[in-house]
Amino acid sequence: MENTTIIEFHHVKKKYDDDIVLDDVTFEMERGKFYTLLGPSGCGKTTILRLIAGFTEATSGEIFLDGKKVNTIPANKRKVNTVFQDYALFPHLNVFENIAFGLRMKKMKQAQIEVKVKEALQFVNLAGYENREIEQMSGGQRQRVAIARAIVNEPDVILLDEPLSALDLKLRTQMQYELRELQKRLGITFVFVTHDQEEALAMSDEIFVINEGKIQQSGTPIDIYDEPINRFVADFIGESNIVQGKMIQDFLVSFVGQTFNCVDQGMKPNEAVEIVIRPEDLEITPTEKGKLKVEIQSVLFRGVHYEINAIDDAGNNWLIHTTKKVIIGEKIGLSFTAESIHVMRHDETEEEFDKRLGAYMEGESNA
Amino acid sequence: MHNKHIRRIYMIPYALWITLFVITPIILVGYYSFFDIEGNLSIVNYQKFFTPVYLKMTLSSFWYAFLITLISLIIAYPTAFFLTKTKHKQLWLLLIIVPSWVNLLLKAYAFIGIFGKYGPTNYFLEWIGIGTKQILFTDFSFIFVAVYIFIPFMILPIFNALNELSPSFIDAANDLGASRWATFRRVIFPLTLDGVKTGCQIVFIPALSLFMLTRLIAGNRVITLGTAIEQHFLVTQDWGMGATIAVFLMLIMFIFMILTGKDV
Ligand SMILES: Nc1ncnc2c1ncn2[C@@H]1O[C@H](COP(=O)(O)OP(=O)(O)O)[C@@H](O)[C@H]1O
Ligand SMILES: [Mg+2]
Repeated sequence: MENTTIIEFHHVKKKYDDDIVLDDVTFEMERGKFYTLLGPSGCGKTTILRLIAGFTEATSGEIFLDGKKVNTIPANKRKVNTVFQDYALFPHLNVFENIAFGLRMKKMKQAQIEVKVKEALQFVNLAGYENREIEQMSGGQRQRVAIARAIVNEPDVILLDEPLSALDLKLRTQMQYELRELQKRLGITFVFVTHDQEEALAMSDEIFVINEGKIQQSGTPIDIYDEPINRFVADFIGESNIVQGKMIQDFLVSFVGQTFNCVDQGMKPNEAVEIVIRPEDLEITPTEKGKLKVEIQSVLFRGVHYEINAIDDAGNNWLIHTTKKVIIGEKIGLSFTAESIHVMRHDETEEEFDKRLGAYMEGESNA
Repeated sequence: MHNKHIRRIYMIPYALWITLFVITPIILVGYYSFFDIEGNLSIVNYQKFFTPVYLKMTLSSFWYAFLITLISLIIAYPTAFFLTKTKHKQLWLLLIIVPSWVNLLLKAYAFIGIFGKYGPTNYFLEWIGIGTKQILFTDFSFIFVAVYIFIPFMILPIFNALNELSPSFIDAANDLGASRWATFRRVIFPLTLDGVKTGCQIVFIPALSLFMLTRLIAGNRVITLGTAIEQHFLVTQDWGMGATIAVFLMLIMFIFMILTGKDV
């Protein structure tokens, strides 16, 4: 019987000399899903991939692939293939031989290799490019060769380390679609690394947000966007307005000197919290109808919407996304619903967070 | 337009140098090769070159240069490989390079002392019960000393090639299921081949025309084209024949350069 869990990290720690790069990382990944590791540069994303691939060993903790502990199994014995950030295509081999490399290592017959390489090239829309040299290929084409070289081995897992970062915007968007399609067709688990939150939101079944060697939050793109666990996640995923506040009691929160209804519960009375409101959840109203009164500081046209920076009487900045046209210096009101107020507790672990949200879901279904 | 002029002016010293010290000597050597020992214009030197004496000498030059290059390569590649893995690799590299700054003659004389009848090597052989051996003036000592002298020049380009090799190629090979040996044979070696070629050129070409060592270490038992040229110019005074051998030596070097050229 097949395990549904394909990758598992159990309290994995990684140190370089005295630098703690990964600190007690624990997670599970299911077979056949598209996962994204998202975080700023230097947070340890590549290190996680290198641990899965077997290029480096964990300082402590356990790593399982398909239910087997693999801590000491070398990279060439793992059913995992990597698409490297710099592609790492062999410059002395042509496209065919690059893709065939893994199959040759398995001592596959030449006739079968030819069939497989051809199939892989078709998968990445490069049919007919077998005899090209690597240096004759464009950046986008090299990218596809690197993907073909990985998928041709039919691994359990494909690791992709910021594979799209070197491509221009248009090509990148196209490749995002193609990669997602490819993953669905192949049904292989993809672990995709990026520092681009839009890319992560667009592509993933599940996102792991990482900062300073720790997983901050994991969940579907919508979960993470709608219910960020802390300031870092809220800031990193999408744009947000974050203000300090106080949880008066369940469903009642106060910030910027006023009290509002909200949908959060499970905190201590009068607990200090942080409030997140997404810029697109703020609605512009006439001053007298607004919950907040602000003065417009700047307006930027972003193509689909205007990005407005406004300041309230208490001196808080508010970022607003709207399609309405406004004038700098104008006083407006801002309105928002109870649902668009997201309350975050200080130093809440992901476990506690999930528990609190779980209780809240139950409460909702009982009602 | 203006830039081109300036560039031409900069080219002048270079062109002068090349003409004076490279092209003129080659033409002179070519010119002298057409005179026999009495100073008459003839092609007798070329006919002489194709007699068994000189052909054998050419072959033996080749053979020794080949052995010296091969042995240097066999020792230098793994050495360079492990050097790139050490912590203070630049320092270790420097330690290997330093002996090449010592004058060749000094090193040769040092080896005469080391390999001589009453030198430390024989003392050691005596001590372990093998007994005194004739080490100096053998093929072994000649090749040993030549390899010792040339090996830094083989290590340096190979070290550089290995050092510049991106580690992600090795990860990629590993990732695709290659064992250590397969990674070396299929990826590391082919990608450092340019360094190997450069090293072979730097060793093979001077090894072909070695002459001091042949006398000092090999006791004239090994006669190479280099020795023959020296003898003709300094001893027999047959400059024409010496020049003819030099012409062939240059031809051989030229062919070797093309064969090991980087873009072939
Ligand atoms: N081989 C190494 N030796 C020492 N430190 C390293 C090494 N590799 C990575 N690091 C450090 O580990 C941290 C995480 O690196 P990495 O996983 O590459 O981050 P990311 O891919 O998220 O940008 C960085 O601070 C980096 O400097
Ligand atoms: Mg990285």
